[in-house]
Amino acid sequence: MSCSDYQYTRRRMLKTFSASLLGMPVNQLLAQGASSNAQAEHVILFWNSGGMSHLDTWDPKPGRKVQGEFNPIKTSVDGMEISEIFPQLAKQMHHGALIRSIAGTNGDHGRAQYELQTGFNQSPNIMHPGLGSLVAHEREPLGDLPALVSISGQAARAGYLGQQCEAYFVGRPGQKDPYLTFPEGISHARGMQRLQILEKMNHRTSAQNGAEELKASQTALKDAVALMESPSLKAFDLKEENSATVEKYGDTEFGRGALLARRLVEQGVRFVQVNRGGFDNHGNIFEAMRNHGADMDPAIASLISDLKANGKLEKTLIVVLSEFGRTPRINDGGGRDHWARVFSCMMAGGGIKGGSIIGASDPDGMEVAERPVKVADLHATLCYALGIDLNKELTTPQGRPIQLVRKEANPINELFA
Amino acid sequence: MLDDLLRRENAGTGVITTELIGNAAFLRRTTIDLIGRIPTMKEVREYEKWGPKRRAKLIEKLTSHPRFADRWTVFMADMLRIRSNVTGGNQLLAYIHGSLNQGKPYDQLVRELISASGRANSNPAVGYILGDDAAPMELAAATSQIFLGVRIGCAMCHDHPFDDWEQKQFYDLAAFFGKTKKVQSRRGGGGVYTTEGDKMMVLWPPEDQADSDKRKPVKPKFPFQMADGGATPKHIKRFEAINLARAKKEAGGAESASLDALLDSVEPNVGKPGDPVLEEAKRESRLLKVHGDIYRSSELRTQLAELITDPRNDFFARAFVNRVWAELIGHGFIEPLDNFSDYNELHHPSTLDFLAQEFIASGYDFRSLVRIITLSDVYRRSALSAEIDIELREKSELNFTAAPNRRMISEVLYDSIVVAGHLKDFKWPKGANNKEVSREIRVPTGEYTILKPDESQPVMMAEKQVIRDDGYDLESSLKINFDSVLNSKEQAEIADMRMESDEAIEAKEMAAKMAAMMQKDKERRVMKYKTETITETFDDNPRFDSAMRMATPAPPAHFLRVFGQPARTGLGEFRDNASSLRQQLLMLNGRITHEASRVGTLEPIHRLLIKDPDLAIDWAYQEILTRYPTDSEKSDARIIVNNSAEGMADLRWALLNSNEFRFLP
Repeated sequence: MSCSDYQYTRRRMLKTFSASLLGMPVNQLLAQGASSNAQAEHVILFWNSGGMSHLDTWDPKPGRKVQGEFNPIKTSVDGMEISEIFPQLAKQMHHGALIRSIAGTNGDHGRAQYELQTGFNQSPNIMHPGLGSLVAHEREPLGDLPALVSISGQAARAGYLGQQCEAYFVGRPGQKDPYLTFPEGISHARGMQRLQILEKMNHRTSAQNGAEELKASQTALKDAVALMESPSLKAFDLKEENSATVEKYGDTEFGRGALLARRLVEQGVRFVQVNRGGFDNHGNIFEAMRNHGADMDPAIASLISDLKANGKLEKTLIVVLSEFGRTPRINDGGGRDHWARVFSCMMAGGGIKGGSIIGASDPDGMEVAERPVKVADLHATLCYALGIDLNKELTTPQGRPIQLVRKEANPINELFA
Repeated sequence: MLDDLLRRENAGTGVITTELIGNAAFLRRTTIDLIGRIPTMKEVREYEKWGPKRRAKLIEKLTSHPRFADRWTVFMADMLRIRSNVTGGNQLLAYIHGSLNQGKPYDQLVRELISASGRANSNPAVGYILGDDAAPMELAAATSQIFLGVRIGCAMCHDHPFDDWEQKQFYDLAAFFGKTKKVQSRRGGGGVYTTEGDKMMVLWPPEDQADSDKRKPVKPKFPFQMADGGATPKHIKRFEAINLARAKKEAGGAESASLDALLDSVEPNVGKPGDPVLEEAKRESRLLKVHGDIYRSSELRTQLAELITDPRNDFFARAFVNRVWAELIGHGFIEPLDNFSDYNELHHPSTLDFLAQEFIASGYDFRSLVRIITLSDVYRRSALSAEIDIELREKSELNFTAAPNRRMISEVLYDSIVVAGHLKDFKWPKGANNKEVSREIRVPTGEYTILKPDESQPVMMAEKQVIRDDGYDLESSLKINFDSVLNSKEQAEIADMRMESDEAIEAKEMAAKMAAMMQKDKERRVMKYKTETITETFDDNPRFDSAMRMATPAPPAHFLRVFGQPARTGLGEFRDNASSLRQQLLMLNGRITHEASRVGTLEPIHRLLIKDPDLAIDWAYQEILTRYPTDSEKSDARIIVNNSAEGMADLRWALLNSNEFRFLP
């Protein structure tokens, strides 16, 4: 189901809108902004909340005072080194790309998370949708699972796209959603009987009052029941995987999250967000990052190699992202503080050129040294990879015209062949 | 009067005017709108007995119902963006609730919000200023948009693109907030308060347009035009007369008016001698003088509050009337509700003006406004049928001659299920639902691990509720006690502070710092757990509290949020009325609908079902849909119920899930 299905006519809104702009042209938007060679069909976003250190992951600074406890290691790409906490990932980097010159502007968690997840800065009177909601809105659904699934936490809100574009969430990977089966004590047969009674009641109401609002509610009901009955739901059940596979991903919540992400993508889910926290390491950062590495490394590395093996990697863009980096200076508590002026992100698959390194920070990881990448550029890149029109303009329910992607944003062209 | 005006404004537009809804529908619609839940069986019966004038009687009863303040606190919380998880949020919520309960005039309420200083615990109205961190720019934008319906905030960074506001005008307005400071209390854990500084922090030209030495303090200036001088209009004369009478009444009361006001805002039911709250309040009132310096009141904001609430300021009453109208009728005279502008079409301006003037003339009495609207014909319109062309249907709705389909807001839907299913009290005798359950518990292993980031933990303690820790606790109600929120420890603290020497305070602060550091240390490393399965017996006999007393807004995936409760983080954020799959899953398979459907042996319908199954079916329809079943519905229901409690549960489950339940009649 696509999240735009429940939208009832907004003609009323549109009228108000055109009146308020006094005949201004509604959009000059048909300048084609969608890429023709887009390959990606799905996104798996690993969202690392709290501000993941760039120096201790993708942008090591060996021999500098800021280096910290970790040494860099060689990867499968000549001249590309990453932190030792990712030994398995290092062997997959020929599928991956590093962006080392993200120039952030927000050092506050809330504002930075908003910008990184939506591509826009917070502003009054509008709430921008998160990346996942945007993709779910723009790409037609595949299969019968929800287009956007968030694992181990909530994805960014759907904002002006509305409730129907919110993520379907999984509390803990592998766990059954209690809301997908009839309540305890209600057998399947009895549940289905109840649905028939309900159907008849709603039909009676609609016969008198055919309003769009009621129809939208019935469409949502139909979709809910379809999901409850869908054979694709087995994708959520990790018991189907043999224990060796579970072990390979690391038998952790994060590992199971990555495994579930793979299974969902195989069933056609457009956008999977796997959430992880614990990166706000103002103290004892190295111990923390070592532990993070232990969870993340086998999970993401196995995901890349599995997707490669089943031919899905070219169609699946993997993004490892956080709201900002951390101070190169190590503080008295053995931690690093917030640092937005430059930080990194890792991408893999989805038709991007493996082995790329985009931009660079200065020798101490303090500032952008080469090819600054704006936060909105990351969004443009993602949309570009998925073939979403970068110039598209929507109208919010409040009648306000809005760009899907910030006007001044540009995709990172070097990532695409 | 209202209906005449509307008719005149609609003349020649070709819209369809629908029939008025019947008595039962009126009972349901008003009860939902005014007290935030469907009517109970008792209320249905009572209303049926009333003769002519029953509508006026009903509105009178509902506006004086204790839940009236609950329901409209939700409305005000949306408007003011009240959040439990920010400093002063819960106090502000409780303060609004108390103010609605007392029938505090709206202009007075707004004056208090805009001008308040101090700490949320002793002066809860300050929660409004704290909500925007006492930042002048944010407060100017919010104050103008919320109370005047003008989006001057768009002129914060540049002259307004779609309007005539200039950036300088915005700065003039912001300057009223330019001396307000938010202070972190000197005492460890002492909290946050606002006070007034001496320096004007709002400077012109803006930071990006001039060097800092060229920027000069801005002199506050109210950018909105007041109505012409000249002869005092009738509605303002009426307003002045009411205010005079109110002032006289107050002067005739106790000599210490401030103490009364303080008591009112602390707890409604105190006053007995020896009451600890009263004693505390007294102590506080004496101390206020001593600490007048700390929580200095704001002259500038007091001026601004006077200007904003001046009865000659047309924006003020119109903005609020438009919001209340939209809440009751389905959409406003202008949309978005907070965007009055020459570039945005205003429908039916005379009707709006009439309501605004009546509101002013009533002394900004909220209940009077609600009464005028709900007793009008326009409020009683029915929806247009499906056969009418959609264009014409929308046009008629827009012109208020046909009712749009309104879904209950999330809190109301929740509370209505609770009422329909008798979930407010136990509906089973003790032990009737004993269950053996296996559950997984976490046992410490002795090892340590790094703490995962704080998942948003509920701030409030739940009352005997098992909170799932797997992210699927989506229907619980975490209750806030409004009274205890306002009954603070602050008074005692201030008394202590005066007796302690500075050294003692410092020593205490050091100790607090140490404790905080140790606490931090603890937070970083936490015990590792393993999972074990245990089996235990428990009595599954749940109760649900009102959604209107919960910490607010609810966590992101909670029932209330899924049905449209806003996050209240930004200006101009309204309730999302769209349908979604998640909503349906929560209703189809959720615990609350399930428990509401089951026929508890302590419910009246249980006995009825044995004695007279047909009557039980009538009863179910009445309780859930506030109407009798039609003949064909009844014959269907007989088959469904089949004289069994399970069958009745099936019928009730379907009724609760139906569109008819969720959407207003």
